[in-house]
Amino acid sequence: MAVPAEDSGEEARRLRRCINDLVGILALPAVWLGHSAPEIVGSLLDALLVMLNLDFVYARLASSAGAAATEMVRFAPAWEPKLGPQEIGETLQPWLRDDSQKVPPVVKKFLGERDMVLLPLQLGWHDEIGMIVAGSQRQDFPQQGERLILNVAANQAAIGLHESNILRELDHRVAQRTQELTSANEQLHGARAALEQAFHELRKSEAKLRRVIDAIPTIAWCNLPDGPNEFLNKSWHEYTGLSPEQSQGWGWQSAFHADDLPALMKRWQQMLLTGERGEIEARIRRHDGVYRWFLIRAEAFFEGSRLVRWYGTSTDIDDRKRAEDALNKARAELAMVTRVMTMGQLTASIAHEVNQPLSGIVTNASTCLRMLDASPPNLDGARETARRTIRDGHRASDVITRLRTLYSRKELVLEPMDLNEATREVISLSWNEFGTIQVLLKQDLAEGLPPVMGDRIQIQQVILNLIRNGLDAMSEVSDRPRELTIKTDLGESGSVRLSVKDSGTGIDPQIESRLFEPFYTTKRDGMGIGLSVSRSIMDGHRGRLWAVRNEGPGTTFLLSIPCSTNT
Amino acid sequence: MKSRDGEGAVQRPLVAVVDDDESVRESLPDLLGELGFRSQVFSSAEEFLGSETVQRAKCLVLDIAMPGMTGFDLQKELAVRGKDIPIVFITGQKDEMVRKRALEAGAVGFLLKPFSDTALLEALNRALETA
Repeated sequence: MAVPAEDSGEEARRLRRCINDLVGILALPAVWLGHSAPEIVGSLLDALLVMLNLDFVYARLASSAGAAATEMVRFAPAWEPKLGPQEIGETLQPWLRDDSQKVPPVVKKFLGERDMVLLPLQLGWHDEIGMIVAGSQRQDFPQQGERLILNVAANQAAIGLHESNILRELDHRVAQRTQELTSANEQLHGARAALEQAFHELRKSEAKLRRVIDAIPTIAWCNLPDGPNEFLNKSWHEYTGLSPEQSQGWGWQSAFHADDLPALMKRWQQMLLTGERGEIEARIRRHDGVYRWFLIRAEAFFEGSRLVRWYGTSTDIDDRKRAEDALNKARAELAMVTRVMTMGQLTASIAHEVNQPLSGIVTNASTCLRMLDASPPNLDGARETARRTIRDGHRASDVITRLRTLYSRKELVLEPMDLNEATREVISLSWNEFGTIQVLLKQDLAEGLPPVMGDRIQIQQVILNLIRNGLDAMSEVSDRPRELTIKTDLGESGSVRLSVKDSGTGIDPQIESRLFEPFYTTKRDGMGIGLSVSRSIMDGHRGRLWAVRNEGPGTTFLLSIPCSTNT
Repeated sequence: MKSRDGEGAVQRPLVAVVDDDESVRESLPDLLGELGFRSQVFSSAEEFLGSETVQRAKCLVLDIAMPGMTGFDLQKELAVRGKDIPIVFITGQKDEMVRKRALEAGAVGFLLKPFSDTALLEALNRALETA
């Protein structure tokens, strides 16, 4: 279009102003940074209104997420009426439906009597961001420079809004992210707190368990599958005075008594191989050097079929063991005394045994004196009674000696002994007794008999008793040979038997049941220890003493005594 | 069974001795002889009861503890049979109850072994007095 000459200065001014405005518009995004979309658009509208001298400028911003669009409007100061954005928007609707690339319409009678030029501008590639509508009453609106400014402004606005959107989106995303992170962090904290709590609980219960393990008064321990120690409780350390370093692994062995350790290690190795539970008694040294007996018990712990640990206890049984030993000793003594006799019976028995020869002594001696006092003196009688007195004196002495050795309150000392050898000794010592009455002695002592557990002296007393009984039983026999057969052989189940068989008068059935009674004696001289005591001795040896009638004349007395076993 | 007469032709009283103890049966007859008695010894109460001495003995020296029939049993049996023969008990048992029982049952004497010859003589004389 041709420009009149007087307008070239005006043109230059217009251009200059246009460039200034452009620069201004181009600078706007820097200002917009960090501001919201409405703020951006608002400032743009303000700028455009002034730059282009518009009568009004309207903007509509699309919003995200289906919310209502934002509408804004700026009026020139002189414009009336200053309606609200929504109303302007409504009014503009019909004209905005058209494709905005067409020639801007001149709107007649816009908002009253005015004819307006309305110029819509898209924000964004389509109008996805929004739209600006510039309105002016000037007929020549928009001129080229103004159109340029408007387009650039729209572009800048789009960029600014876009960035703002992005920023907003970023912000949103950051906010979201931050929230997610915060939430995750919270969760993490929560989880960590829970874990810490769990650890705390675990440690508490560990501590509790440890307290329990340390509080129980017994030594408790835990070993590894191949044998060395892993853990010992407080009781062990307090008792032995050994530190954990000294005790772990195989160090604990040093606390055990040297005599007991080999057997214990042997058992332990056995258990390690078989995985079976076991126990053993052994002495453990206390911190002050004193050894005490303990019962050590262990059991394997399996996970599935795999042996993972050995758990065990070591319990102090020293008092109990001492008490047991004392009890056993007392029992043995009691058994000895009860079996042999009660004290009263003992004294009575001794008195009884001795009384007979004493009576004889007194009677015979009295008689002797009287015979000597007779006139004339009865010398033969005196001699006979004197002889009897001396004989009875010897008997009394023998009985006392024997009873004294027998009833001395020491325990039966059981030792392995050779029964045959003991028997031969008895026979040889009492040989003269065989000689006074003619007795044929037969010895049938089996060869190779195992040793028996016996108190030698006491067994010999019994054998002597049986021999004497046998001789006595035959003292009145005259119509047949007097034979005493002494025999040894193996008895039943781990015992050796000795029998003394006579060919005497045999046991009277009437007195058979009373043979072994304490007071009972048929002896002419009533000497020796008697069958009752003999039986007691055999009981004390865990053996037996009994009598059987022979098929022929006479009786056989038998004793059996257990063989000595390996200890 | 042993019997021993004292010296001299005068009839000496017959004392029966019943004791299962051989040494008593061996020694008492000689002492009794010295004390002026005849005697017959028996090893059991049953033996004595089965003999004629039951009728003829003037006194009975009797042990208490014997297998089979005890001294007390014999005492009872003699009472049952109406045999009023005085009894001197001899025993090794120091029990006071036994002594009481013996005396309550009418024994004329109770001697603890070993007893002196004078004690025996006293008891025997007492026995003969009551007869």
